[in-house]
Amino acid sequence: MKILVCIKQVPDMESKFKIADNATWYDSGELAWRMNEYDEYAVEQGVQLKTQVADADLTVLCIGPQRVQETMKKALAMGCDRGVHIEDAESFKKDPFEIASMIAEFAKEKSFDMIFTGMQSQDRGSAQVGLMVAELLDIPSISTVVDFAFDAGKVTAKRELEGGIKAKVSCTAPALITCQLGLNTPRYPTLPNIMKAKRKELLSLPAADLLKVERKQETAKIYFPEKKGGGLVLEGAAGDLADQLIKILKENTGVLA
Amino acid sequence: MAERIFKGGEFLVTEVTCDEIFTPEEFTDEQKQIAETTEQFVENEIVPHLDEIEAQNFDLVIEAFKKCGDLGLLMMDTPEAYGGMELDKVTSMLVAEKIAPAGGFSVAYAAHTGIGTLPLVYYGTEAQKEQYLPKLVSGEWAAAYCLTEPGSGSDALGARATAILSEDGKQYILNGTKQFITNGSFAKLFIVFAKIDKELFTAFLIEKDFAGLVIGPEEKKMGIKGSSTTQVILDNCKVPVENLLGEAGKGHKIAFNVLNVGRFKLGACVTGAAKQATLVGVKYANERKQFNQPISSFGAIQEKIADLTADTFAAESLVYRLAGLLDTKLATIDREIDNYYVEYQKGIEEYATECAISKVFCSEVLARVVDEVVQIHGGYGYVSEYPAERFYRDERINRIYEGTNEINRLLIPGMILKKSLKGELPLQAEAMKAFESLMTPSFEELDDSIHFAAEKALLKNLKTLFLILAGTAVQKYMTKLADEQEILMAAADIAIQIFALESAVLRADKACRSANEKKKALLEAVVKVFAFSATEIAGTAAKKGAFYVEEGDQLLMVLSGVRRFAKYDATGLLQAKRLLASTVCEEEKYLF
Repeated sequence: MKILVCIKQVPDMESKFKIADNATWYDSGELAWRMNEYDEYAVEQGVQLKTQVADADLTVLCIGPQRVQETMKKALAMGCDRGVHIEDAESFKKDPFEIASMIAEFAKEKSFDMIFTGMQSQDRGSAQVGLMVAELLDIPSISTVVDFAFDAGKVTAKRELEGGIKAKVSCTAPALITCQLGLNTPRYPTLPNIMKAKRKELLSLPAADLLKVERKQETAKIYFPEKKGGGLVLEGAAGDLADQLIKILKENTGVLA
Repeated sequence: MAERIFKGGEFLVTEVTCDEIFTPEEFTDEQKQIAETTEQFVENEIVPHLDEIEAQNFDLVIEAFKKCGDLGLLMMDTPEAYGGMELDKVTSMLVAEKIAPAGGFSVAYAAHTGIGTLPLVYYGTEAQKEQYLPKLVSGEWAAAYCLTEPGSGSDALGARATAILSEDGKQYILNGTKQFITNGSFAKLFIVFAKIDKELFTAFLIEKDFAGLVIGPEEKKMGIKGSSTTQVILDNCKVPVENLLGEAGKGHKIAFNVLNVGRFKLGACVTGAAKQATLVGVKYANERKQFNQPISSFGAIQEKIADLTADTFAAESLVYRLAGLLDTKLATIDREIDNYYVEYQKGIEEYATECAISKVFCSEVLARVVDEVVQIHGGYGYVSEYPAERFYRDERINRIYEGTNEINRLLIPGMILKKSLKGELPLQAEAMKAFESLMTPSFEELDDSIHFAAEKALLKNLKTLFLILAGTAVQKYMTKLADEQEILMAAADIAIQIFALESAVLRADKACRSANEKKKALLEAVVKVFAFSATEIAGTAAKKGAFYVEEGDQLLMVLSGVRRFAKYDATGLLQAKRLLASTVCEEEKYLF
C-alpha cells in the first residue's frame, strides 16, 4: 500500500506577525517555523494506517524553501518512510490551485492508495488544497475528518459539520482525507526515531518541473483587522450609572436622538 | 565544529577566534527536533501536573520517568549496546536546558541521568551494565547518587560510611548514613560511597530491596519540593561483592569525575530556567499597569529586563561553547579501544575548570534572574499564587549542590595552577609577559574594521589582568597559595567573567555573519550590556585581589594595571539596554 501525506511549514502562531512591504503576505524574516498543526494529525493518521496494514510505504511531501526540510524531518521522525521536497523559494506567492496542481502532478502516476492532508493551513487557511488535489487526481475526498477507519480498501470517516453535528461518510480507496484537529493524538518523535530519520531518503524536486498551470487567484492586499476602540467601565451606584450612560449615549451617539 | 583542540584553562593564555567555538546557531535539525520533543514533553506531560508534583505526589514522577524512557530522553549518555544512544554533549545539554521548566521534576531527571546513571556507564562491568542500564534507560528504575553524609558535604572524602567484607567473602556489609539523597524515596538503584575497612573509599551499586537499606523520611525543603530528598541509611546492608563499582579504593575518581559532568549539565539546566523565568517576568511587566501604563514601559523595569537578557545570553553562549569543547575532544577518542571510558574521563576532566565556571556563572545568573523577576512582580512576586515565588525558592539550591559555588570557585584557579605546574599551561611565561606590559605604555588603536574590536581588546586586557594577579599571588605565597582562599576567589571571579564574556563576544561575532540588520543590532547591544557588567565585576575582583596580595609601590603598580586593563568604553550603553528591553517586551520571547 502506498500512502502520501502532504504537509506545510508555517510560522509559530505565537509569533508577532508583521505585514511584508508589498502587503500581500507576512514578513517571514524573524519567524520561527513549525509543522502546520492540522498536518501533524495527517502525519499521525498516515503512520497509524501504515502500522495497521502490513507492507505500506509512507511518503511525506512538502513545498517550500530549503528550510522546510527541518519540518519534513519531523514527519520522517514520526514514522514516514521517505520525503519529497518540492523546492520553491516563493511558494507563498502561489495560490491554492497552483499548489494543488503541483502535488497532483507529482502524485498522478505514483498510484497512492491513500492521501492525507491537513484540513487547512494555519497561515493561509484556504482549506482548498487537499480537495483540489483529489479532484485533479479524480479520486474521492472526505474533508474535515475527526474519525477515520480503514478496512480492506474501504474508508469510513466521520466529518465535522456546523453546530457540533457529525456526518458518517464512506468511500473506496484510492481516496484523500483532510484532517481536522482532534482526529488522533499526534506522537512526539522519539530520540531514536529522530536520529534514524537522518538516514531516510529525502528527495528534492524543483518546483518548475511540476508547475504546469496558471494561478486562478490574486491576493490584492492583506491587513490586520481594524482595531476597535477600548471599552469603558463605568463605576458608581446603579442610578448614577444610568445617568452616566444616558449622558454618553446622548453626547457620543445618535441612538437617543 | 571547531577543529582546534583546546586544553582546559587555555582560554586564559591564548587568543580564541569565533571559528573555534561552537554556538547555538549551529544546532543541527536533529538537535532542534530533540529539543522540541523535550519541550513538548514538559509542556504536555509535566507542567499540567506541576502542582501535584510540588505536593510530592511522586507516583506522577515515577510515571513521568517511564514516559521519558519511552521518548528516549534517558538514553543520551548510554551506549547503544545497553539500550542507549550515546549522543553528543551539545544534545545532552540542550535536553537539560529544555527540561528545566519542569520544576522539581527537572531535578529528579538531572540526578537520574547524570550522577545516577553515569557512574555505571563509565565504571560498570559488562555484567553490571547489562543488569542495570536497560532499566535506567527505560525509566523502569530511577537512580540515586549517595555521596554526602550528615558530617561530610564539601569534604566528601571524609565520609564515615563503612564496608566490611563478610567472612565467606561473598558480600560487603555496609553501615552509615547518607544525607540529602535526591530521588531517595522512589529510586530503585543507589550508588553509594563507603570506605572498605574504614580506608578504601569505594562505590557500590545497591538495589532498593537489598536487606539493610533503609530510606529516611522526606526532608522539608525550601524549594524544589517536587523532587524527593531523603536520608539513606545503611544498617548492616548486605551488598554482593559483584556490586562493587569500579575498583576498591578508587571511589574518589567516580565521585569527582561524575561531578564534572553534573556541573556543566547544571549550567545548561539553570540557563533554561533563567530563560523561562525572564519570560514570565516580561509577560507580567507587559500586563501589569501602574500610572495607566504597562510597567514594562518604565526604564527602571526595562533595565532589569535588559540586564537579565544579557546575562542569560552569556550563560547560554558559555554552556554550548563548553559542550562543543567537550564534543571536539571526545570525538578524538577511538570508541573501539578497551579503555575508552578511561580516556573519555580524561577528556572530560581536562575541562574541569570550564565545568566549574559553568556551574558557578550560570547558577548565579539564575539567582539574579529570579530575584529581579520577583521584584518585577512586586507584592505578587511574594505570594505563591504566581510562579515567581517558586522560581525564587527553587533557584537557591543550585548554588549549593553539585559542589558549592565556593568549592567550585576554589577549583578554578586551583586547576589552572596545577596545570601550570605540570607544564601543561604556560602560565608563568605568560604572567611574565603580562608584567612587562604593565611597565610599557600602550598606544594601540582599535581597528574599527574588526567586528567587536573593543570587546576583543578588552578580553585580551582582562586576560593580562588575570595573569598579573595570579602571577603576583603565586610569587608571594608560592605553594601556600591554596590556603589563601580569599585571593583564589578573586582570581576565580576574573577567570569566570573572561570565559563568559569571551563566549558571548565570539558567539555574537559568528552569528553576525548571517544576521540581518535588526539581529545584528541586538547582538551588538547584548554584547555591550554584558561586556560592561563583566568588566565591572572582573575589575572589582582584581582590585580586591590586589589589596589582598600586595602593598606599597607594588600595590600601586598592580592597581594602575587594574585601571588600565579593566576598562571598557560602553558608549551607547543606555540605548543598547533600551533596544534589548523593548524588543524582548514586544516579542515576549528569548531573543537569541
